[in-house]
Amino acid sequence: MVNAVERVKECLKVIEEKNKELNIFLEVRDEKELIKEAEEIDSKEKKGKLYGKVIAVKPNINVKGLCASCSSKTLKDYCSTYDATVIEKIKKEDGIIIGTVNCDEFASGSSGETSFFGPCKNPLDPKLIPGGSSSGSAAAVAAGMCDLSLGSDTGGSIRNPASHCGVVGIKPTYGSVSRHGLIDLSMSLDQIGPFAKNVGDAALLLDVISGKDLKDSISLDGEKLDLNSLNLKKKDFNVGFIDFESLSVAGDVRINDLLHKKLKKIVEDFDLSNFEVLSNSSLEIMKSAVQIYYPIVYTEFFSATRKFDGRRYGEKIEDSCGPEVLRRILGGSEITRAEHEGRNYHLALKAKKSVEDVFKKMFEKFDIIVLPAVPRLPHKIGENISVEEMYAYDVFTIPANLAGICSMVVPVGKIDGVPVGIQIMADKFNEQKMLEFARYFEG
Amino acid sequence: MSFLHKKLDEKDKEKIKEDVKEIVDTFGSVLSSLSDLAEEGSIERKNSFREEKKDFNNDSSFRKKMFKNSKNKNKDFIIAEKKKW
Repeated sequence: MVNAVERVKECLKVIEEKNKELNIFLEVRDEKELIKEAEEIDSKEKKGKLYGKVIAVKPNINVKGLCASCSSKTLKDYCSTYDATVIEKIKKEDGIIIGTVNCDEFASGSSGETSFFGPCKNPLDPKLIPGGSSSGSAAAVAAGMCDLSLGSDTGGSIRNPASHCGVVGIKPTYGSVSRHGLIDLSMSLDQIGPFAKNVGDAALLLDVISGKDLKDSISLDGEKLDLNSLNLKKKDFNVGFIDFESLSVAGDVRINDLLHKKLKKIVEDFDLSNFEVLSNSSLEIMKSAVQIYYPIVYTEFFSATRKFDGRRYGEKIEDSCGPEVLRRILGGSEITRAEHEGRNYHLALKAKKSVEDVFKKMFEKFDIIVLPAVPRLPHKIGENISVEEMYAYDVFTIPANLAGICSMVVPVGKIDGVPVGIQIMADKFNEQKMLEFARYFEG
Repeated sequence: MSFLHKKLDEKDKEKIKEDVKEIVDTFGSVLSSLSDLAEEGSIERKNSFREEKKDFNNDSSFRKKMFKNSKNKNKDFIIAEKKKW
């Protein structure tokens, strides 16, 4: 195993070589300070679970002393005054936080383009978007700038860039990871989660950050992960597959075909006795996932951003933000106008519960639901696309957030040299099952 | 349109305001068309109260960092404009 000092030096070297081109890291900690911390960890007799792992963090998660800018001009000089609970847990297990990485401004985007600090680029093809909003978190792992990273996922912000960058990304069950110290986008949907190059490492970080935290009142203890049992072995999972036709999604059919091919092989190789492509009719409400999701996000984001008034810190958000953030704030303002009596927000919350009920029913029959991660390949940075097209990137990822279940993406292949991931879902607090099935795709 | 970050002028802001009203109306009509919706979900947790003294330690650097983040301050106060809150 590489020791902590060596690993820090390796990562710093890659950052030095690649960051200027890729615009992934926003802030890298002082080299001397990092080496000193790594030396102290190396000299410990008993080392933590994350020994030797270098970790990057999305800048909407507070790391004491680092800038929690949310990739926005609004908070560009805001220095975190405390560690988020997930950061405390990582430090306790000897993980080394190397710095913060780029993302869509206030996690509002699916492409990584909306950052005030300029677009983050895809390490596999710098002309293309890396996906978002946790663009830098996925790109940093893919580029070898760190071993692991943290992102946040409100409607696909971990799984979308994981797919485009060819890495593993996990959105844990809602409430299973503390959000204390996360600068919120939408409190009913946000969840912090890990990125890694493989399922085992992602599971390791998930294991460290999970668990009840009294500073996040909705958090709960789930079943502890058994990392040893993630080794590949035959288990008879009941698997349901939601494909493009199931949700009437008109995307890039090559993605649909690739996933069908991969799943056929998995079913044969692991002798799965129950595999079913789910029919269109049972999933009616999920076809409106985007229209259910955005009224909730607009409303809760509008509420969350009222504190950014430029008085105690930062700048007033409406005077300093970019177009997508302003769109969401104004959208939230419109929905919450007194004359509407919150009608659309409440309808959306009811529809959210209905989606949750559909999944509850599906998980009575299936252990695992698989589906595409994104309906199309990433577009070119700066390319003109409509708001509807941008929002449709998350059509397959939003349902897991609405239902509060766990979901993850693992890479399954490439189309035109661009990575494509598959999304794996399991019922709430069934991360163990989800991770075991995800290992099937690693051969 | 491109989603790259850009500085917004008043004309841009006005256009976004007009567009978003249309987007919200579209969401609203889809939501209104959904039938047999469940009741709103809620989350209730037992024993979710914390003991403040036990869980929060005073951090000596907090005050320094908090004041550093503030633009308008004197020694002990953050200064805000009067009558605009």
